[in-house]
Amino acid sequence: MTEVVKVEGVQKTFGKAKALSDVTFTVKAGEVVGFIGPNGSGKSTTIRILLGIIKRNAGNAEIFGKDVWKNSLEIHKRISYVPGDVTLWGGLTGGEIIDLFLKLHGGGDKERRDYLIERFELDPKKKAKSYSKGNRQKVGLIAALSVESDLYIFDEPTSGLDPLMESIFQEEVEKLKNAGKSILLSSHILSEVERLADKVVIIRQGEIVETGTLDELRYLTRSTVKMETNGDITAMAEVAGVFDFEQDGNKATFSAEQEHLNEILLAAGKLDVIKFDSSPPTLEDLFMRHYEG
Amino acid sequence: MIMKEKFARWDILFLQYLKRDWKKIIIWVLGIGLFSSGFIPAFKELAKGQGLVGMYETMQNPAMISMVGPTPIDSAADYTLGAMYVHEMLLFCGLITMIVSLLHVVGHTRKEEDLGLTELVRSFQIGRQANSLATMAETVLINVLLAVVISVVMISFNADTITVEGSFLFGASIGAAGVLGAVLGLLFAQIMPNSSGATGVGLGLVGLLYMTRAGTDASNPDWSMINPMGWTYLTYPFTDNNWMPLVFVLIFSLVVIIISFVLEGSRDMGAGYLPEREGRAHAKSSLLSVQGLFARLNRGAIIGWFIGFLVMGAAYGSIYGDMQTFLQSNEVMQQMFTQADVSLEASFTSTIIMVMAVLVSILPIVIINKLFAEENRSQLSQIFSTKVSRTELFWASVGLAIFAGVLGTLLSVAGLGGTALSVMESDSSMGMADFFAAGFNLWPSVLFFTGLSALVIGWVPGAGKLVYVYLAYSFMLNYFGGIVDFPDWFLKTAIQDWLPQMPVESFDLPVFITITAISIVLMVIGYIGYKRRDMAEGA
Ligand SMILES: Nc1ncnc2c1ncn2[C@@H]1O[C@H](COP(=O)(O)OP(=O)(O)OP(=O)(O)O)[C@@H](O)[C@H]1O
Ligand SMILES: [Mg+2]
Repeated sequence: MTEVVKVEGVQKTFGKAKALSDVTFTVKAGEVVGFIGPNGSGKSTTIRILLGIIKRNAGNAEIFGKDVWKNSLEIHKRISYVPGDVTLWGGLTGGEIIDLFLKLHGGGDKERRDYLIERFELDPKKKAKSYSKGNRQKVGLIAALSVESDLYIFDEPTSGLDPLMESIFQEEVEKLKNAGKSILLSSHILSEVERLADKVVIIRQGEIVETGTLDELRYLTRSTVKMETNGDITAMAEVAGVFDFEQDGNKATFSAEQEHLNEILLAAGKLDVIKFDSSPPTLEDLFMRHYEG
Repeated sequence: MIMKEKFARWDILFLQYLKRDWKKIIIWVLGIGLFSSGFIPAFKELAKGQGLVGMYETMQNPAMISMVGPTPIDSAADYTLGAMYVHEMLLFCGLITMIVSLLHVVGHTRKEEDLGLTELVRSFQIGRQANSLATMAETVLINVLLAVVISVVMISFNADTITVEGSFLFGASIGAAGVLGAVLGLLFAQIMPNSSGATGVGLGLVGLLYMTRAGTDASNPDWSMINPMGWTYLTYPFTDNNWMPLVFVLIFSLVVIIISFVLEGSRDMGAGYLPEREGRAHAKSSLLSVQGLFARLNRGAIIGWFIGFLVMGAAYGSIYGDMQTFLQSNEVMQQMFTQADVSLEASFTSTIIMVMAVLVSILPIVIINKLFAEENRSQLSQIFSTKVSRTELFWASVGLAIFAGVLGTLLSVAGLGGTALSVMESDSSMGMADFFAAGFNLWPSVLFFTGLSALVIGWVPGAGKLVYVYLAYSFMLNYFGGIVDFPDWFLKTAIQDWLPQMPVESFDLPVFITITAISIVLMVIGYIGYKRRDMAEGA
């Protein structure tokens, strides 16, 4: 698979403050990559570098094999972007702004625009200053989704949207995904990432700390096991790969490392199990581990 | 009870605002204060010998009166230092104070509301209208301070005819002008649908009041007494010492404040009284380009300023008729002009054209600074990620600014020349072509300010407002250069001074080309910076 986005050792400082110290990841053709990390970790900064809005201090960043700063115009012809806080010109209506974006991007599809305006239930006749936060966001989304692009970059696209609109957005992104488009999606809504992303990139304090498919990342994380036995459950505490062991009579809860799953099951088998309940790590567990560092 | 609730805790906000603004307050009070009072020694020099008599004759000219206001003195012998100082300084200083106060009040009431700050403040235990009251109290206090500083500095010069009472009246008149500006700002902050509307209409009204008083002052100053702006300079300190107009200011301000508070009390936050219309569902094709977008975003400002230029030109043009009558009845002046071999019209035109060139320069600066304001509010980020390049954004903006400068020059000169030629009864030595020549002779200075703004936005975008400071500086230098004798190199720090004063002096092609070329170079350097720098976003 070809790499649509390729970021290597990118650094960025603002004055003295280092916003990005080492950002490396890729988005391959047809891949949906979730880009997640705590507030202020550098997601938007990375995205702005990819868009050529700001200039990196070191490292390499390419989209479609072209340098994001030098060849930004050629790149921009084939991408769509939605910022997390769509700001609009108060004096123009939503409909006018959408039309303007389509025109400036080139290759907008009027039918698709009207379809999306209806789906997102936007009143295009209102002046932008009277739009609520969510409605402003819809304007940005409709504009970005109405044009034909190869790469879609979303920076917290659904912030401010109600759950119904959020799921409409997710459906539309799924359609893009099925059509083989590449997507870079930064979001704090983990269920959104879990539903859409093939791969997750986690950034913390300007550094990529984890990259991989959800399954791969899950493997690195411990499952939570709840069990109840007739035998003396205390023995489980000593088994390799068992952590955070908590006992309550003949019941226990602990986290289990995936690598040692076999040992754990063998040990459990000797204890006359009444109940065994293992839940895989949720995405949330995974993030918590990284966010809290 | 309800009153109390509406304004609850305004005093806390008031103290908070003083703390927040103390630097601005110091600059404001000392800047305007020293400017208003500090020229006394310079004027003392000017008054030596036959200075007062000569100045009296010059200032009898309706053209001068329309610019600086009238004097109650009717014989050159009674024209004292105090009379002259007030005559030349009071109206102008009051006008500046009025504008600064108006901007301050709108900035801290309506603008904060538009930005959503007020919403946050109101969520605390703070009355609905406490913010407005605190801002007004702050602005009034600043103007009182200003009045005191001006009076004290004037008295300290201990100059002949600069009396204590006169000094206090002079200071109080300027302070009163500030209060007037503040209440007008508050009023329009309630009526207009947003802060830029409030600022625009407020400043427009100030301009209108200034223009109407130019007309009434030149024909009959009594009529200026029904003009609120008239109350700020018809006090005639050091001569008539008339405190009455300040009482009018007080009553007028109280009425406007009460009206404003009632209006504010019954409107929704973020809304105004002038309704907003429903817009179009789809864009017209004229909007669908970077140029179209910028034209649309600046449309209000451009149209407003264009009307202003035209009216201003017409207002000054209407004086030409009075000027001829005046010249025929005044032998001293007739002699002065015949000796110097220039017509009064030509001499007046050269001064007025300069004033207009400075005012026309404001619009291109507004337009270019708008580009950065857009960028700073992240409004361009989604546009920037389309195939629109920085080159397009930059040159679309600069191009619009150049266009506004050309058309602005054209309109102001057309207004001036057209009206002047129609009101002059006897044959004039000047034709329409002379007016246009004089106007476009100064056009490179307008272009220079366009270039300067473009340079600043490319390299130090945060400093866009500094261009206005230089513009104001060069305006003052030109304005007072005619009155006070500055050394030549000092005058040359104002860009307009490099260009000849047409139609009195003759056209200088090399200078014209040089300044035009320098301006274009500034734009190109600005462009290079704009291409290279980070967009100010998310900062
Ligand atoms: N223009 C700027 N000037 C100075 N510092 C900046 C600028 N832009 C971003 N930063 C800093 O860089 C760091 C990363 O910010 P960034 O906006 O990329 O975070 P983020 O991951 O998008 O956070 P969030 O989840 O809150 O959106 C922050 O510490 C921020 O303060
Ligand atoms: Mg962000």
